[in-house]
Amino acid sequence: MAAAILGDVSRGDPESLTIGWLYPELMNIYGDRGNVLTLYQRARWRGLQAEVVDLDKGATRAMDRVDIFFFGGGQDREQALVYDDLIETKAVPLARALEEGAVILAICGGYQLLGHYYQTAEGQRFPGLGLLDVRTEAGPRRCIGDVVVDVDPELGLTPPTLVGFENHSGRTFLGSGARPLGRVRRGRGNNEEDGTEGAVANNIFGSYLHGSLLPKNPHLADLMIERAKRCRLPRLDDRLELAAHRWILEREAARRPLGDARAR
Amino acid sequence: MVTPRRRLAVLAGKATGALSRATRRGGGTTFPGDVARAIDPQVLRRLIGDLRGGAILITGTNGKTTTARLVAGLLQGMGARVVTNRAGSNLIYGATAAAVAGAGLDGRLRADWGVFEIDEATLPAAVEETRPVAVVVGNLFRDQLDRYGELELLARTIQGALERLPEGGRAVLNADDPRVGEIGLGLPRPPLWYGVEDRSVSLSELPHAADARTCPHCGARLEFSAVYVGHDGVYACPNRDFARPAPEVVATSVTLDGLDRICIEVGGVRVEAPLGGLYNVYNVLAAFSVGTVLGLNQHFMAESLKKAVAAFGRQERFERRGRRFTIMLAKNPTGFNEILRESERADGRHFLIGLNDRIADGRDVSWIWDVDFELLAGRAEVVVPSGVRAHDMALRLKYAEVTAATEPEPDLGLALDRLTEATPEGGDAYLLCTYTAMLDLRALLVQRGWLRPYWAT
Repeated sequence: MAAAILGDVSRGDPESLTIGWLYPELMNIYGDRGNVLTLYQRARWRGLQAEVVDLDKGATRAMDRVDIFFFGGGQDREQALVYDDLIETKAVPLARALEEGAVILAICGGYQLLGHYYQTAEGQRFPGLGLLDVRTEAGPRRCIGDVVVDVDPELGLTPPTLVGFENHSGRTFLGSGARPLGRVRRGRGNNEEDGTEGAVANNIFGSYLHGSLLPKNPHLADLMIERAKRCRLPRLDDRLELAAHRWILEREAARRPLGDARAR
Repeated sequence: MVTPRRRLAVLAGKATGALSRATRRGGGTTFPGDVARAIDPQVLRRLIGDLRGGAILITGTNGKTTTARLVAGLLQGMGARVVTNRAGSNLIYGATAAAVAGAGLDGRLRADWGVFEIDEATLPAAVEETRPVAVVVGNLFRDQLDRYGELELLARTIQGALERLPEGGRAVLNADDPRVGEIGLGLPRPPLWYGVEDRSVSLSELPHAADARTCPHCGARLEFSAVYVGHDGVYACPNRDFARPAPEVVATSVTLDGLDRICIEVGGVRVEAPLGGLYNVYNVLAAFSVGTVLGLNQHFMAESLKKAVAAFGRQERFERRGRRFTIMLAKNPTGFNEILRESERADGRHFLIGLNDRIADGRDVSWIWDVDFELLAGRAEVVVPSGVRAHDMALRLKYAEVTAATEPEPDLGLALDRLTEATPEGGDAYLLCTYTAMLDLRALLVQRGWLRPYWAT
C-alpha cells in the first residue's frame, strides 16, 4: 500500500479535488455536511476545481476518480438501509481507490462501518468493511459532550489539538494496524477506557467527532487534501477557524477543575 | 372533592409562583409545578378533572407554542376560560404550574379548557395525567440529538402515548409529515388528518435537512410530488407500501404575504391570520382541525383567527430608533431554513444570529451545518454572529460565503448595537435566535425598556 501511495500519481488532476460523499441522504446526521463543505471550499479558495460526487444507494459513478471520500453517521434506521449497498456496491471500488492513494474520513457510524465489525448488546456481529483495524461493541450508555484531543504528533498538525462533540454508544477498540488519531484531554473518545480517540492508517481517518469536525480543525482538513493531492497547499487566512478552535480549548480548560460539570 | 393534600399543593405552588415573580426570577412558569407535585404527585390529574371541557395537548418539533396559542384563542373567543402553559414551559412541571396558577385558593381549577404545549418526550406522562380530548402532533424533525436521541425512538414514544388515548380522545395529525403519517397509520382508532394542497407554494426539492426520506416498510426512497416545509409534503412509496393519508381538513389557495399575513381556504371557508410563513399555515390548520374536533363553527374560527397574535419570541415585532425589529426563534435546521425563507420573502437584509449551546438549545451545535445559510449569500447587507457560540456561527457564514458577516460578537447587547447601527433608518432588522439566546435577548430588551416581560405577553 505504501508503494502505491508514493508511486501512483495518475489519480486525478492536480488542479482539481473530487470529494465522494457516501450516502449524503441517509448518512448525514447532524452537520456532516460541514465536513464536505470545508473540504470543498478550502480547495476552491486555493483555486482548485472542486467537485462533490454524491454516492447514494446503487451509485458507483466516478468512484475511480474520487480524491477524498467522506462517510458520515446515520440514525439506526438509515444505517440499516445502507448496509447491504455498502457491502455489495461500494466495498470493492472503495478499497481499490484507497489502495490507489485516495483519502477517506469516516465519522461515527461511518467510522464503525470501516472496521472489522460492530457487535450489538445482544452479541450479534455485523461485519464492517475491514478497511481499518478497529472493532466496535455496543456500550452501556451514550458518550455525549465536548471533546478536546491531543493529536498524534506523527501527523505534524499545528495547533496540536482537535476539538469536536461526541455522541455515540459504540465502544471502538484499535488493533495493531491502526494508530489513534490522538488522546482525549476532554471527553471520552473511542471507548472510555484507553484514552484514545479516532484511528488512522495511511490515508484512512476515523473519528467520533462531530461539531462538525473539519470547520474548526482546518489543519486536519488541509492534511487530507495534501495527502490526497500529494502537494503542499498555500496557507489560507484561518483566523476565524482558529479562533473558534481556541474558544473551545479555553472553555474546556476553564471547566477542568470542575471535573465533568456540564454547560449551564 | 378537593383533598387537603391537593389544596396544600395548589397553595404552595401559587406561593412559589408569586415569590418567583416578585423576586424577578422569571415568570414562575415551571417551579410552582415542581413544588405542587412534590406535595401531591396527583395534583395535575385532579385539577384537570375540574375542567368542564377537557384538556388539549399540542406536540411536535416545531410550532407547539404558536398552535397552542391559536387553539386557546379560539376557545377564549367563545367566552370560555382557558388555562395554558403559554410561556413555553412544556414539561409536565410546566403544565402543572399552569393548572396550579389557574386554580383558586380552594384548590379547584376554575377553567373550562386546558391547552398545553407538551414536549415530545413528555407526551406519555401528559396523556396519562390529563386524559385529553385532542392531541395535535404537528411534525417531527431532527432536533437536538444530544438531548432527545434519534427521531425513530421519539416517534415510537409518541405513538405509544397516542395508543393510550382515552375513549373520546382524538389524535389530530399532520398528514404531510411522513413520520407523523407513520405514527397515525399505526393507531387503533383513526386520527383526524390535516394537510396542505397547493403546488404553488411547493419547493422544488427536499432540503438537505430532510429526515424522513424513506418508506418505513420497504426502505425505498419516498417520492414527493410537493415539498412544503422540511420533509413535509405530499409523499408516496414507489412500491405502494406507504403514502400520505388523505387529509380531512385541507388548506388550499395558500397566499403568503411576507411576515404580515397568511391566507388559506379550508373547506370553502377563507381563513386569514396575521402571521407569516408556510409553517404558520400548518399551525393555523392544526388549530382549525382541533376546532373541528370540538365542533366549533368554521366561520367563527375564521373570524377568530384574524385576530391571532404571535407568541413571545416568534415573529415578535417592535420599533426602536426608527428601525423595525423582528425576533424569530429557530431551534433546528428545518425551523431555521423556514425563517430564512420567510425573511427572504420579506426582503430582509439585516440580521443578528444568536447561537447558544445551553441544555435547552442542544449542546451540540453541529446542526448549523445542516441549515441553508447559503440563502443569505449575496442578499444580506449585514449579519452579526452572536451568542455563546458566535465563533461557530461566524465560521458557518464564512463557509456559506456570506460576505456580509461581521466578526463574531458573543455579547448580544453589543451585537444588537452593531446591527442597529448597520440598519438604515426606516429599515427592517431580524433577530434570529436559538431558544436561550432568544430568552437572553428578550431579557436584555425588557431591561432596556424595548419590550414587555414574557409573562406579561
